[in-house]
Order: sequence, then structure tokens, then C-alpha cells
Amino acid sequence: MATTLPRKGSLFRRQHIFAGTTVTPVMIYMMLFTLLPMLWGVLITFFRYSPTRAGGPFLGLGGGNPFVGIENYLDLFSNSPNGVLFRLSLKNTLIFSLVYVPLNLVVTLPLAVFIESVTQRAKSFFRTIYFLPTVTSAVAVSLVWGVIYNPTFGLLNLGLRALGLTGYAWLTDPQTTVLGIPLPMICVLITYLWSDMGYNLVIFMAGLQGIPDVYREAALVDGANAWQRFWYITLPLLRSTLTFVMVMTMLSAWQVFVLFFVLTNRGGPSNLTRVLVLHIYETAFRYQEMGLAATVAMVLFLIIMITTLLQLRLLRKDWEY
Amino acid sequence: MAILDRTSTLLKEAPAQQRRSRARLSAGQVIIYIILIVGILYTLLPFLWMLGTSFKSSTEIVRMPPTLIPEKFTLSSYRTIFTDPSVPLARFYLNSIIVTFSIVAMVLFTSSLAGFVFAKYTFFGKNLWFTLILATMMIPFQVIMIPLYLVLVKLGITDSLLGLIVPGATSAFGIFLMRQFIESIPSELIDAARIDGASEFGIYWQVILPQMGAALATLGIFQFMGTWNDYLWPLIVITTTEKRTLPIMLTWYNSQHGSRFDLTMAASVLVILPIVVIYFFFQRWIVRGIALTGFK
Repeated sequence: MATTLPRKGSLFRRQHIFAGTTVTPVMIYMMLFTLLPMLWGVLITFFRYSPTRAGGPFLGLGGGNPFVGIENYLDLFSNSPNGVLFRLSLKNTLIFSLVYVPLNLVVTLPLAVFIESVTQRAKSFFRTIYFLPTVTSAVAVSLVWGVIYNPTFGLLNLGLRALGLTGYAWLTDPQTTVLGIPLPMICVLITYLWSDMGYNLVIFMAGLQGIPDVYREAALVDGANAWQRFWYITLPLLRSTLTFVMVMTMLSAWQVFVLFFVLTNRGGPSNLTRVLVLHIYETAFRYQEMGLAATVAMVLFLIIMITTLLQLRLLRKDWEY
Repeated sequence: MAILDRTSTLLKEAPAQQRRSRARLSAGQVIIYIILIVGILYTLLPFLWMLGTSFKSSTEIVRMPPTLIPEKFTLSSYRTIFTDPSVPLARFYLNSIIVTFSIVAMVLFTSSLAGFVFAKYTFFGKNLWFTLILATMMIPFQVIMIPLYLVLVKLGITDSLLGLIVPGATSAFGIFLMRQFIESIPSELIDAARIDGASEFGIYWQVILPQMGAALATLGIFQFMGTWNDYLWPLIVITTTEKRTLPIMLTWYNSQHGSRFDLTMAASVLVILPIVVIYFFFQRWIVRGIALTGFK
């Protein structure tokens, strides 16, 4: 055991060396698989790039993969097959996310309030069950719901037939719409709600637990009924949680892939459920047009960035309890 | 982000809630229970349908009208999957286990180490690096999957388990979470260890890590679920049958036996079983982790 401390300079040097030798490799590694692809992704949006064609020496760009300027971006607005499909995918993604977010909130917030109001033991039982679908593989979810929606042997039509109704070809009917939304899209919404609502439920429950009881008790003393206590006390105090949940749900809705790939069989019927992520995947890995696909990915990135920045702004709160 | 700042304090035990217990149920509470139980049916019915179908015989599945609960329980669909020579089920399980455990181990190590350094050291470029971490947290995987695939092509590790593991070894979210947690560990502990002659890595290994059970468990379970269930990345990277992971095996199996619901459902049960078992063991961590971070 040393009786004197090491000199100050050497101690700090040792710490500095440790910090440098541990953080630098981790950071470089991480950047290699996030920032570098991001930059590469921006770069290839200016090329008609496909790995199947022979290109120049630098990243396969040039040669068979010529520089096209902003042509890929202009293509999104043109009447080319890619442009038309892109706009259709964008529209479907918008429909999906704009319907899904309110649908999710309307279901999960009341459920969270209800679960919070029951006894402790019942509460953990309900939470455990409601959260179960969220840990389930999205592929398995798609396959099970695919069987449920099956027109001949499915659970849903089985129930409808028992009620004397005829039932639907849920996932393949291109004609039927509900409030202007195609039936297959409705099916994806219901399935996604099933697989996803556990998250928001848990976040809302945590938010509700974070509200001190005194406010609701004061309202109770003042004679407010349950609905008034919820509307005037709980809901305003839950604002930051609500904003956070809205934005996170929106972001995750933009990124749903498996349901549209497996449940509705690659965006079917007739591209009614083709969304942006699916369009990116198909363009890049099925048709190998990676320049075009990367351009669509940039649009998706832009939308997600705007949503995220909006969240940061909305979440600034000027009160505390 | 604002919610994330609460992470470190909330990772500790939540205060026990005081609940008034009532002997009698009011009319309002009865309605609440009815709604909650209807919700439970919506949640559980698909699982029961999956289980039920997997135990039906192939003739019972196509019988009209369909049955909800199998009239005769049979294991024939499971037997078919296990004995089908074109489906190396054990191989798929092994692939999923290799990929998931490698990624979880590496993410836990790199995140806790980098999180420790970011929380307790000052060094050149610290703020720049940390801003970069926050920035990468905002880049969704779908946006960079194309160039990421091109990186793998350059590295020559497409169509291999390595291609699934290598890009997942670090996690921006993990570093962020660990830093938040380690900041709440008093620096005096570290100084004391230093005076006792511990090396810097020794401090990380012997002082910091043992205190991080809760944070490591939370991050580890999230990473486990994410990797085990991941579909898109293996779909892009893997082309050879023997290198598929379980979720890929499922869709492939479905397209092979599109009309055999019994086989598809039995395969689904086999894929989700491990994660459901883990969920029931660790659900406290999962639920708390989500409540704290809001991340999936």
C-alpha cells in the first residue's frame, strides 16, 4: 500500500488515457454502423445506384451507376411507377398513422385509468395480460391474425356467421371501406392496436401514478364527480405524458413493417396497404434500385425528424408538481 | 427526452402506492371490471386461438363449421414440424440464440463501459461525442438499412450470422440509459477505490458493475426482445436456409405450408414460447423499464 498519493498530474493522465482508450473505439464502431451509413445513404440518393450493376471504383458509384443530380428526388413527384407508388405509400402511411394515434389513445388512456382504479392485485393481473402481446414476435402476430381474418376458417367470420351475417374477405377485399378506409387497412389497425397497446398502457399508468393524490382528493372534497375529476384534474396534469405518448406512437406507426409485409402480403390488395417502409424495402431489395429507395428513406427521415423536433418543443413544460 | 431525464431516479423502487380497499363494489366499479374483462378477452383470444389451432388435427381445421376448442387434442402438428427434414428447427433456434446472446452481451458491455466514462470522466470531445450519440438515437433503422447493407457487403459478411451480430454490438440508447444511471452513483465511491489502488478498469468492473443490476437487467431484456423478434434485418441479410433465425423461419414456413394452419400455428407457438416464459419471469423489469424510458 502506497503511503503517498500519486502525483496529481499522473492520476489525471491515467484517467484521461482510460477514457480515451475505452470511449474512442466504442464511438468509432458505433459511427461506422450509424453515421457512416447515414452519409452513404445521402450520397447514393444522387446516383442511379444498384449493386447489381458494375460501377466505378469509389463505392461502386459512377460507371453503370451514373450521377443523376436531384433526379431521384424529382422522380418522387413524377408519373414514373416509382413516383406513383411513393405517393400512394405516403398516403397510406399518413392514413395509417393519423387514424392509429387517436385510436390508440382512445383505447389505452381510459383502460389505464380503469386499471389504476382497481385493487393492487387485480391491477398487476390486468397489466400483465394486457402487456403480453407486445413481447410477441410481430411475425407470429401477423400469422395468427391472418388465420383469424381467414374468410373460410377464421374466427372472425365464424363469429359473424353465428350471428347470421355473411362475413368478409377481410384482408383481400379491395372494395369495402369503413369511413373511407379500406377494409384491409382496418384489419392492420386492429391487429397493430392489439400488439402495441400494452406500451402506452404502461406509460399512462406510470403517468397516473405520478400525479399526487392530493389534487384528486381536494376535488373530491369539493364535490367533483369521477368524470369531472378526470377531465379537470387528471387530464391536464397528464399533459406531458400525453404529448410524449402521442409522438412516440406516431413515430412507431411510421415504422411498422412486418404487419404490412406478412399480414397483408406485401401491401396488398392492389397496394392498398403499401406503406413507406415497405416501399423502401421493395424498391431496394426486391428491385435493387437502391438510389431511388434511399431517396424515399430520406423523405421518411425528414418526416421523423420533424415529428421528433416537434416533440422536443411540445415537451418543454413550465410547471411541476 | 424530458422523460428520459427521469430515468435514473425512477429506476429505483417506485414508492408503494397507498390504496383504499373497499369491501363492496359500487355499480361504477362493476362496469369498470366488465370493460377490463372484455379487453382481456380481446387480448387473450388470439393466443388461445393459436394454441387451440396448433393442437387440432389437420382434418379438424378444415371442417365446417370450425371449432374454437379442439375436439381431440393432438400433438401431430408439433411432431410434423420436429420431424420434417426440410425444417432444421434446432438449427433455427441455435441461430436465434447465438445472435441474441452475442448482441445482448456486447451491448451490455459496451453500453455500461461507455456510459460509465461519459458519466464520470472528463475528456477531450466529450460533448461532441455525446451529441452524436443523441443524434444517432433519432435515426430510425429503416432509414439507414440500405447503406448498412452496403457496409456489410464491403465487409463481406452478408448472409452470415456475423452480419446480424456485428452492426448490433453497440447501442446509442444503451449508452444513454447507462450514463443516466451511473450519474446517480456517488463519485466518492470511485475516489475511494482509486485511493485503494484500483485501476480504472478495475473500478468499472468491481465498483460500478455490481451496482448496476437493475439497469443492466432492464437494458438486457429490451435488447433481448428486440433482437429475438427482429425480422427486417435478417430478412435483408440472410439468404441461406440454414442461417435463418426463428422469425424468418416462420414466414418461410407459412409460404411453404400456406394452407396448413395447424403447422403454422404450432411453429408460432414454438417461436413465442421462450419470450413469453422470459416475460413472465422478468415482467417487473420490462414494465418498469418502459414506464421509465418510454422506449420499446
